[in-house]
Amino acid sequence: NRMKRAKARHKPCSLKELEVTISELGLGYNSDETVLFRYCSGTCDSAVRNYDISLKHVRSMRKIRKEKVRARPCCRPLSYDDDVSFLDTGNRYYTVNEVSAKECGCV
Amino acid sequence: MARAGLLGLLLALGRVFQAWAGLSPPATLDGHGWQSPVDCARANELCAAEPGCSSSFRTLRQCLAGRDHNTLLGNKECRLALEVLQGSALHGCRCRRRMKKELSCLQIYWSLHLGLAGGAEFYEASPYEPISSPLSDAFRLASIVSGTDSAAASRSNPCLDAAKACNLSNDCKKLRSNYISTCNKEVSATEHCNRRKCRKALRHFFDRVPSAYSYRLLFCPCKNQACAERRRQTIVPDCSYQEREKPNCLTLRSHCRAETFCRSRLADFHTNCQTFLTSCSRDNYQACLDSYTGLIGLDLTPNYVDASFSNPVISPWCSCQGSGNMEEECEKFLKDFTENACLRNAIQAFGNGTDLTFSRKAPPQPLLTLPPAIGRASALPYSVNDSSLVDNTSVSITCTSRQESGAQVNQSKEQSLCSSEKSLTTALMPEQKTLVETKGSGNQLSFTGTVSAVLFLLVKMAM
Repeated sequence: NRMKRAKARHKPCSLKELEVTISELGLGYNSDETVLFRYCSGTCDSAVRNYDISLKHVRSMRKIRKEKVRARPCCRPLSYDDDVSFLDTGNRYYTVNEVSAKECGCV
Repeated sequence: MARAGLLGLLLALGRVFQAWAGLSPPATLDGHGWQSPVDCARANELCAAEPGCSSSFRTLRQCLAGRDHNTLLGNKECRLALEVLQGSALHGCRCRRRMKKELSCLQIYWSLHLGLAGGAEFYEASPYEPISSPLSDAFRLASIVSGTDSAAASRSNPCLDAAKACNLSNDCKKLRSNYISTCNKEVSATEHCNRRKCRKALRHFFDRVPSAYSYRLLFCPCKNQACAERRRQTIVPDCSYQEREKPNCLTLRSHCRAETFCRSRLADFHTNCQTFLTSCSRDNYQACLDSYTGLIGLDLTPNYVDASFSNPVISPWCSCQGSGNMEEECEKFLKDFTENACLRNAIQAFGNGTDLTFSRKAPPQPLLTLPPAIGRASALPYSVNDSSLVDNTSVSITCTSRQESGAQVNQSKEQSLCSSEKSLTTALMPEQKTLVETKGSGNQLSFTGTVSAVLFLLVKMAM
């Protein structure tokens, strides 16, 4: 079971989806309409570049101390899904953009 | 013995006649049969290849330009052109919704049709080919989609379920969002939206999105006001429907008739959503809902007038105030929307169809078993295939289900609908149906009627 969990955590960066209501998105809108929320999840181990190795090394030599740096690629949306329109509980229509991912990548 | 033999022979002969009437080529159906030969765009190509036909069509189009029907018939040249065209492929041609070159097809249809009829009738025949399979995609798919919804909470609002189903489909979500954002976009301080663009986006949505999604949004069956309000809001009525002033319905109709698309869709609505007893004249709920949906985004855009869930009323944005001596005609026109039993039952049947579990709990009980000879099959030879499914099940489901949920529904009205169905179907005879049928199929039906009458007399004489 632990092996399973470990494996799941090491899946490469990819697009996942979840059905959520508009209210659950936490954008301040109140609507029971369900939408498909697509997000990026997974590791980026194979996308490590010389930049990351070098940055990590330079940091470990304490040459970089005060700045915040990230020496690992990140699984993030490369592009976003189309706009989503919905009717809220007060019967007003709203349209929101860039809520859901369309394509993921290690950047 | 001999008498019985003769009787059998005559009856058999009758069957043959009826079968023959049902299978007769479309040309004899005056273009009203369910098998239409060629579409008008193709017919026009065929006509263009023939010198006689193409010159006649040119002449007719010139005749129609700026002249009324009577002066057209007064002109010998015009009359002659019309006669030539009646023998061509153009006669009886139809168009299909969403076909390539739909507009030009419709224009060709109307140029010939207006030459024949003059365009002053209350009801015009639909330029569209009839939809032959009533329980097609929308009804079936809707049931499948709704079957996957298991949450009891969401069951209380089928319109919310419909929105969910649309949001989970990429295409539906995209096109829905497209019309909502277009219709909801404020243009300036004085103009709160661009109505023209909004209606165009709506037409795009209903043209492109499978009816399994769009029907669910438009015709979701509601049992509370929140649901009914969501249903009313489907087409963003603030922009696409309502206006500051309510025009007169006949003014609105003449605007509509001046425009090819609107005229065609209105004629299609009148053809497919005509009430016959408590059902539809063509016995095809799907066709009625299709025609209704076809009007959305045009001058006569219809919608629910309020958020009533027990007694939903549908109307275009118009009234009969200021009709003068046309009051009666105006009321008649408006009532085809507001008090249309066919449309109402079609919407209800769709709502019941989406709820599979419900219709299973109440197995359809045929209200009446008619002997085949006077059943609808023989009364309407061309729709035997169309109606067999809807006819015997949906109507009775609607009826029983409404009685079951009678606590919430206006009971007296609904029950009278059911009982009138019962009492009237008994009296249904081919001849009577003929009276209510549209002109074209009337020819054929009255023929069937005459044959039956003649046979009846013969049988009497033989006795």
